[in-house]
This record gives sequence, C-alpha cells and structure tokens, in this order.
Amino acid sequence: MSKTKIEGRESPLLPHSDAREVALLFVVAALCFLAALVALSARASYGAAAEWTSQVDGEMTVRLRGVDARAAETAEALISEFADIETARLIPREEAMQMLAPWFGGAGLPAGFPVPVLVEVKTVAGATGLGPRLTQALAEAGFEAQVDDHAKWGQDVRRALGAARFFAFSAVALLVATAIAVIAFATHAALLARRDIVNVLHLSGAPDPFIANLFERRFWLLGLRGGTVGAIAALGVAALLVFVLGVNTQRAWLLPRLSLDFWDFLILLLTPIIAGFAARLAARRTVIRELAGMI
Amino acid sequence: MTRHSPDRIEAPSVRFDRVGLRYDSNEEVLSDLTFELERGSFTFLTGASGAGKTSLLRLIYLALGPTAGEVYLFGQRTSQLRRAQLSALRRRVGIVFQDFRLLEHLSAYENVALPLRVQGKKETSYRADVEDLLQWVGLGERLHARPATLSGGEQQRVAIARALVSKPDLLIADEPTGNVDPEMGARLMRLFQELNRRLGASVLIATHDLALIERTDAAVMRLQNGLLVRDAGGTVKR
Repeated sequence: MSKTKIEGRESPLLPHSDAREVALLFVVAALCFLAALVALSARASYGAAAEWTSQVDGEMTVRLRGVDARAAETAEALISEFADIETARLIPREEAMQMLAPWFGGAGLPAGFPVPVLVEVKTVAGATGLGPRLTQALAEAGFEAQVDDHAKWGQDVRRALGAARFFAFSAVALLVATAIAVIAFATHAALLARRDIVNVLHLSGAPDPFIANLFERRFWLLGLRGGTVGAIAALGVAALLVFVLGVNTQRAWLLPRLSLDFWDFLILLLTPIIAGFAARLAARRTVIRELAGMI
Repeated sequence: MTRHSPDRIEAPSVRFDRVGLRYDSNEEVLSDLTFELERGSFTFLTGASGAGKTSLLRLIYLALGPTAGEVYLFGQRTSQLRRAQLSALRRRVGIVFQDFRLLEHLSAYENVALPLRVQGKKETSYRADVEDLLQWVGLGERLHARPATLSGGEQQRVAIARALVSKPDLLIADEPTGNVDPEMGARLMRLFQELNRRLGASVLIATHDLALIERTDAAVMRLQNGLLVRDAGGTVKR
C-alpha cells in the first residue's frame, strides 16, 4: 500500500479561534479604545493645567489705589527692589484700558472711568509668602495696595488637576480590571469548551505549564490584536479632535489643549502590549486554577 | 526505544494497596483492591458493565486519585508525587480510551503524534515512525483525514496507534477491539503481545470479549461490584 507523505506545518493543539473569541476580540478592542482615550484625555488635561498654573505661578499683580503717575513709579521702584522679586513693570494706562475694553463692548470705556493702576510683578522661582510681605512693605511706605499672587486660582487649578488625574487613573484602572475579568471569564469558557483537548493533553503527560502556555499564547495574541485595534481607533479619534479643534481655535479655549506628541504615541504603543500581558496573565491564572482541580 | 531507569525495573508496573474509590459521597465503586501487575505482565481485566473496570483503569492512568489506600506506579507512591512528577509518569503510560478521545481538529497523523509533541520532540524526529505506525494499522492512506471522516474502526486504530507511538512502559486499553473486525482485532492483539514480549511493556486490557481472553494464556482479573473476585495466570499477584 502506498503512503501519503506528510508535508507542511503541524496544526496548533488548540483549534483556531471560534465565534466566542471574535466577540472577545471586539470587547477587548472596545475596552482598549476607551482606556487609551481616557489616558490621552488625562494627559491632555494634565498638560493644559500645567500650562495654566505655570502661567500664573511666579506672577503677581499689584493694584495701587489713589496714586498719581509719579507715586506709581515710586511704588514700582520699591517693588522691583524687594527681595525675591525678579521684575516689576508698571502697566501703562492705555494697556490697562485695553485689558478692560472687552467688558464694555463696542462703546469703549466711559469717560472718566477710574482705570486701576497696576504693577505686573515676576517673582523668583520658589518664592513663598511674598504677597503678604509685599502688602505690608507697601503699606509701611504709605501706599494703599492690593497684592494678588494668584494663589487661589493656582490652588483651584491644581485641585481640579488632581481630581482629573484621580478620575482618569480610576477609569483606566477600572477598564483594565474589566478587561482582565472579561478575559478570565472567556478563558474559563474556552477551557470548558475544550475540556476534551485539555483532558487528552493532561493524560498524555503534558505538564500544567505546557497546557497553560497554549492558552496563554492564544490570549496574548488576542490581547495584542484587540489592543492594537483599540489603540488605532483611539488614535483616529484623537487625530480628528486635534484637527477639528485646530480649525476652530476660537471654540477650543475651554477644552484641554490637544496634541499628539511622543508621550501620546507611547500611550498608544503601550496599549496593545498592556492588553496582551493582561490577557496572558488572566489566561494563565485561569488555566492553572482549572488544572489544579485535576490530579 | 528509550527504557526508563533500572530502579523501576524491579518494581511492579502497578501496585494497588487496599485501594477504594467513591465518587462524591456515593457508595464505593471500588473496594479494598490489592494486587500487582508485574513488569512485563499481560493481563485482561473483565467484569460486567458497571463493575468498575473503567474506574480501575482511570486510577491506573492517573485520571483519578483513590479515596482509600495507595496506588503505586513503577514503584512510585502516586499520592506523594508532585504534579510535574505525575505528568512524567503519565508519559510512560499509553491509553486506548473506549471513546477514543481523538482531537477533532487534528488529522489522524497529528493525533497519533500528539504524545510525542507533548514530550517536546521535533516533528522531523518522529515523522517516519508515525507514518509507519499508521501504515501498520492500515491507515497509511488516511494520514490527513480528520476523525470525523473516519469510521469507528478507523478511529479506534488511530487511538491505538496514539497509545503505542511513544513505546510506553505500560499500555492500558479499554475495549480496544470493540469496533474493529475480527481480523483487525487479531492483528491488534498480536501488536499488543509483541509490545509486551519485545519491549517488556506491561499490558492491561479491559474487555468483555471472552473469546479474545481464551485465545491467550494471559492473567485475568475479574471485577464484580467493585471487588476483585478472581484472577488467573501467573502475572498477577494478590
């Protein structure tokens, strides 16, 4: 009798993916899409908040009351020589009027409007408690002054930034945990569906790590694929937002400043890798736990 | 063929010491079984349906642990072995399941090669052996066939080839001739005897086929309601 010759590669010991795994791929992709988007949003918010706070940190505004131009210049000189002050600039009346103009509409400022006398101050980095000290020094020199060190604004922004970061991390953690739970559930279902295969392998002398490795590899690839699809979708949405907000700049001022830089691409690159590892870990734990039930 | 360490040669392939088995909290399926299958023995296990034959085989091929007593395989007390050691012991046992348990997504060739893949052997190192074995069981033309396309008898022959391919120290077969014609049944029995004689492998065959038993002078263990009631021949010790 003639023999049929064997050629080509061996088939995988686990059958090719079935409908369940296609559904799981979709779920992992959706979770990765959401996680990547949340991470990108968190980073954008963080960047915007850091920019806002850096603008106001190290700056103060001194408002002088009841002073003429000469006294204002004297106050400016006093401020500029004060410890921890880098520069002090008396804001010209025209510039102060321009700053107020948007609040008065097309008619402009009313005649005789008391335009405040303002001194813009830049402090050295890390200076603390300067506001009260400067207020006291100006008062001692006979000036009625109000010093705004923007501390409240900075605190509010930092508090908002902290809350945004907390919620972003929580959302990412929740999504990752959900993905792991879903994958563990799916692995368990896959294991039950392929119990016959696991049994034959087990009784043929396959060690637990050998069997676990089959499922690990399968779910590692599934996590990578799902993560890649999710990351590409998130990149598409982020790129669209960057484009739309770039075109309509005047409408974007309330939103975080969106961009796609190195760190954003790193987040997108890491998304499938993290998803792959999470899937692999979940599959391994599930299979080992199931096998522990057999002698 | 690679034989295993000489210290085990002295020990019986299988030793049951007052073994009992019950599933959950039900009545005992097997009670107080004590026997040995010496190395190189050829033994039939017989008994009515439900007598506990398959349960006894499952204890031997380490699919189950006993609920009482001790099972020794190749001199090793199985209850004291780690999981990796149990896996290594299982690789020395070839099993022909009554329901074949072929993997549907693999070809006949791949099913037979499965134990060798589990052992981490390269495909090039076993290809010829697997082809020859399938040729010997009359399936040289069906190497690529999936189990679903094979008849019951052909599936049984693939299952037997899978059990033999790693040249096991102990071969366990549950009704191995149930689905093959008498000629193939006789050929399979000759193969089992050859494996037993030439390679020193112990063979344990569970069967209802009394004609098959009568054609040989092998030892016979008979189970009745979970108890070992009779044995004959010189290879089983009680």
